[in-house]
Amino acid sequence: MLHPVPGSTGAAPPLLSLEDFTVAFAQGAGRTRVVHGIDLTLQRGEALGIVGESGCGKSVTWLAALRLLGKRAVTTGRVLLNGRDLSGFSERELADVRGGRIGLIFQDPTSCLNPILRIGTQIGEALRLHRGLTGKAAEREALRLLDRVGIADAPRRLRQHAHELSGGMNQRVMIAIALAGEPDVLVADEPTTALDATIQAQILDLIRDIRRDTGMGLVLISHDLGVIADLCDRVAVMYAGRVVETAATQDLLGSPRHPYTRGLLAALPSLEGPRVRLTPVGGTVPSPDAMPPGCAFAPRCAYAEAHCGNGIPVLQPAGTGHLSACRRLDALMGEWQRQAAREAGRHDPVVQDLDWPNRDRQRELSA
Amino acid sequence: MTGFILRRLAQLIPVLLIASFAIWAMIFAVPGGPVGMMVGENATPEEIAAATRKLGLDRPIPVQYFNWLTHAVTGDFGQSLHSRDPVTKLIGERLPATLQLALVSILVALVIGIPVAITGAVKEGSWVDRLLNGWNALALGVPTFWLGILLILLFSVELRWLPSASRYVPLWEDPNQALRSLILPGLTLGLYVSGILARFLKASLVSEARADYVRTARAKGVSERQIVGHHIMQNALLPFITIVGLMVANFIGGAVVTEAVFTYPGLGRLLIQAISTRDYPLIQGCIVVILVIYMAISLIVDILYAVIDPRIEYR
Ligand SMILES: Nc1ncnc2c1ncn2[C@@H]1O[C@H](COP(=O)(O)OP(=O)(O)O)[C@@H](O)[C@H]1O
Ligand code: SF4
Ligand SMILES: [Mg+2]
Repeated sequence: MLHPVPGSTGAAPPLLSLEDFTVAFAQGAGRTRVVHGIDLTLQRGEALGIVGESGCGKSVTWLAALRLLGKRAVTTGRVLLNGRDLSGFSERELADVRGGRIGLIFQDPTSCLNPILRIGTQIGEALRLHRGLTGKAAEREALRLLDRVGIADAPRRLRQHAHELSGGMNQRVMIAIALAGEPDVLVADEPTTALDATIQAQILDLIRDIRRDTGMGLVLISHDLGVIADLCDRVAVMYAGRVVETAATQDLLGSPRHPYTRGLLAALPSLEGPRVRLTPVGGTVPSPDAMPPGCAFAPRCAYAEAHCGNGIPVLQPAGTGHLSACRRLDALMGEWQRQAAREAGRHDPVVQDLDWPNRDRQRELSA
Repeated sequence: MTGFILRRLAQLIPVLLIASFAIWAMIFAVPGGPVGMMVGENATPEEIAAATRKLGLDRPIPVQYFNWLTHAVTGDFGQSLHSRDPVTKLIGERLPATLQLALVSILVALVIGIPVAITGAVKEGSWVDRLLNGWNALALGVPTFWLGILLILLFSVELRWLPSASRYVPLWEDPNQALRSLILPGLTLGLYVSGILARFLKASLVSEARADYVRTARAKGVSERQIVGHHIMQNALLPFITIVGLMVANFIGGAVVTEAVFTYPGLGRLLIQAISTRDYPLIQGCIVVILVIYMAISLIVDILYAVIDPRIEYR
């Protein structure tokens, strides 16, 4: 996949970027902030993964960016699409962006489809709104889309309802609806979390295929690093409403530079041989109205020291295109490198050599 | 579809049988029994015996019930003890009037209730919503007889626009006159029920609006207007149909107060009169008719459900 180098100057603005973006929910008289100023960019055609445990603000970030959360959600900062701030968009212009420039799919596809409308009607709605297709032309295109997302017997499926299709098929339908608007980017929020492993691999393969054919960008949100690793060029790790680490996928997996990311990696099931010396994190994500002072990860962090509670750590360089928000970054990088060297000496596979097994594993599952 | 309707009809038969037995057995609950009602307190033993024979009460109980039932299914509930008219004739005079009032009342309730519900749901939490909540509380809180009298005072006594006592004029014979006598009782009943319908529909609109498929619709660029009209409304209508059916059914026998205020010749008042005079053949007839209408409405609701909701298998 060819895409411009992030940060290249003079080129067109990134397809999508969030700048110091915050989201708060009105709660009685006050507000509870759940996303605390994040910066993210997505280049045209790029695949960005957003990972973090449940409750870290992954969904809220993207729903709020498209103003899909209603009036209770208050945002600050900027959301730029091709350099234009979405906050200046009218409802009409926003409606063109939603489903037109940016397609969305979600977890639990069956409940995401209207239970009493036919599949064909729901695809047709997107075709009418974004491509002006109606009647026979819309039906032909809907059939082509169903075919594209790998649904057999498309003419019959068009006339069916969500409850007559399996979860996997409904997610394919959701993808068809998203594709109907020929978007520049697909935001997929936990698209496979509700599906079983085989189907999960098939859906991820389908997304990969479509991206190869259309060059469509991808924002893949998941609590599962395995899913992200398989599909994304770059990953942003979110914790408690902040981005705590971001890097190219191989970098992030090979040399994680934040204790939280290392914990996520450790929690991954690895199939053959490599046992990575990392401790999975115990405890849970703090709730937005009970945030610890300083580093929000401190109560769960195996490396925490007293000064971690003083002020919120900011993202700082931890390699090429690699940022990490940890107060002890320098000390820990040294420690992790020494540890890696020790393990290499013992011929034990180490963090740096971590060969990502997931892609092959999924190939096996779908075979 | 036909099969579905036939199956539902077949399911109604045992219900009807059990209910009809209970209705028939009512005669034994009348003080003095049916004979006492017929012959009065100072009857001679001969008179009592004659009446007993005439009513068939000397025969075994299953035979009595069977006789009553075979007549009832042909629409023959005997004579009114009071007026000596056939029960069927008395009910036949009242039923069209009742159905007509029910129709107008439910239309009033829907015309007021649906916009109130939609506006309240769309503007949830705003002052408009609070205002409409207050309006609903008012519609529900004002006693029917009081509202009826108020309307009569305003439109009949003060403004002299509409008659204060409502006659029954068939809609198809003289729509203008019919509507003139239906509008005040229709408003009285309809306003109250609009409060119930609006509250219910608003709650179900608000809960549908939180559904995942609504987020999908928004995410694909559907306008708010179409989301409410096309996606949310259609789903919220499903449970709403049931409530509307229940309300219509309630109008059939339960509009007594309104009928009394407007001296409207409805079934509810006929039933109350029958009860107060212990006119048990008339009571039985009224209850059977009301029951059958209830069942017919519930069948219609089921059919509508099956037509609208694809999740219901009716083949
Ligand atoms: N509608 C809402 N009102 C109030 N708080 C919310 C709402 N939606 C999400 N939140 C809170 O925002 C935080 C982030 O949620 P979310 O983005 O859904 O997490 P994730 O997608 O990472 O699992 C959570 O603490 C959640 O409780
Ligand atoms: S700042 Fe401290 S507590 Fe936070 S991740 Fe780094 S070491 Fe752990
Ligand atoms: Mg989420």
